[in-house]
Amino acid sequence: MGETKRRSRIESGDRANPWPQWEVFVRRDRSRPMRHVGSVAAKERAGAHEQASRLFGREAVDVWLCPAADVDRYSTRELGSDSGGETPPSSRDRTASTDDSSVEPTVESAGERS
Amino acid sequence: MISISKLLCDLDAEGDGLRYDDAAGSTKHQISSERQRAPVVVWNATRRCNLACAHCYAAAETKPTAGEFSTVEAKRFLDELAEYGVPVVLFSGGEPLVRDDLVELVAYATEAGVRPVLSSNGTLLTREKAVALRDAGLRYAGISVDGMPDRNDRFRGRDGAFEAAIRGIEHCLEAGLKTGLRYTITGANASDLEDVVDLLVDVGLDRFCFYHLDYGGRGAEIVDADLSPTEKRAAVERLCDTTVDYHERGEEIETLLVGNYADAAFLVEYARRRFGAKRARAVYRFLERNGGDPTGERIADVDYRGNVHLTQFWQGYSLGNVRDRPFGDIWEDESNPLLRAIRDRDGRLTGRCGTCRYRSICRGGSRLRALATTGDPFAPDPQCYLDEDEIFGELAFESAT
Repeated sequence: MGETKRRSRIESGDRANPWPQWEVFVRRDRSRPMRHVGSVAAKERAGAHEQASRLFGREAVDVWLCPAADVDRYSTRELGSDSGGETPPSSRDRTASTDDSSVEPTVESAGERS
Repeated sequence: MISISKLLCDLDAEGDGLRYDDAAGSTKHQISSERQRAPVVVWNATRRCNLACAHCYAAAETKPTAGEFSTVEAKRFLDELAEYGVPVVLFSGGEPLVRDDLVELVAYATEAGVRPVLSSNGTLLTREKAVALRDAGLRYAGISVDGMPDRNDRFRGRDGAFEAAIRGIEHCLEAGLKTGLRYTITGANASDLEDVVDLLVDVGLDRFCFYHLDYGGRGAEIVDADLSPTEKRAAVERLCDTTVDYHERGEEIETLLVGNYADAAFLVEYARRRFGAKRARAVYRFLERNGGDPTGERIADVDYRGNVHLTQFWQGYSLGNVRDRPFGDIWEDESNPLLRAIRDRDGRLTGRCGTCRYRSICRGGSRLRALATTGDPFAPDPQCYLDEDEIFGELAFESAT
């Protein structure tokens, strides 16, 4: 066997936008392996299954769902390797607390600046 | 995106090469000399927003949200879009101006060779910010206004939002930024269309994009607020009338329709009624080149957590995540049966969409509205407003030749 590639853990595992994401896997027929076909957004498992069935039900004998936040991902990919965790850029730039309610832009403040 | 002003009034624009493969027919500098091969990418750079619009497809929030791209991630993402040949990245949100690094990222996209454009509520566009964005290479700012002042502010959840948006538009125009209106048409604001155009023409605006309501995000909760198909047809007809009237007075406003490709067929019919069969045929040919509903082909969306969607309204389904794979790899992966089916939808459309005479310029309209209302992504678009004669009869220009 060749040398194992170096993979890093992808830290940004929560893909909710804001609805929880469910990774979807389908099997077209019994002779084929499961195939990952993306994710659906749903608050609960039943809703995720309903959505996945609407999108892939005609083409699948099996549908598997997995909460996207529960997947441990390791990759050679580097996009998120130095993401600095889960903090939005603007709040990361601030040295104080991340309570952004204090810096929330408002219509009024925009007007003042203009 | 369908340009009323080009199809009915011969107004050429910098998007003609991209949309109609008609760069040679335009005197304007073109975004692209040929019809696009890679999609325009809408990037929801943040979920945060300072407003709370009733129809927000991104269900944006005023609170900070974890998991947005860092500046470093965003730049790598923009590099990958450039490598894939994406012609345009639309910085959207939430409200993209709440990102402290927006100007930096716009400059980076410019440098990478992806044309940066902006979708904003306009309320945070100070004079200084407009100049900084212009200097960073921003090519266009689309500002959302959804009705006359009281209606807009109610819709947007904040008193003063209308006035602040107008100030933002003025700052963009003063900075020399190409600027346009974004207006989502609903039952609540359709009566304001002409007044908003008139008001913004006085402000100095000359580009107006009208969006039909699609059923994603917060918009899905206000399906009942959508116009009926009959009302929708009437609203589109009024926009056509307004556009032609302006041009006949010598004021060359640019007007566009987004999100309902029944508009394509309607424009052919409108052209025949108002200008005759020859014009109708020309409109039809342009729309053939345009290719109909762009879902999964000419437009894509990447949300604030990196999920890739078929359009910005398909937030309920993701093809993959750019934190796992480059955008181009996800977009090219037709082992995904839904992506393959959406791109090869012609033989799958059912009901009246499956036999419509205009399906080559419409391609079935919104598959998301069909999915949301019937559970079948290939069922008829419930917001198609064409009548039976238009769908099953002769094409508008055939009977007259």
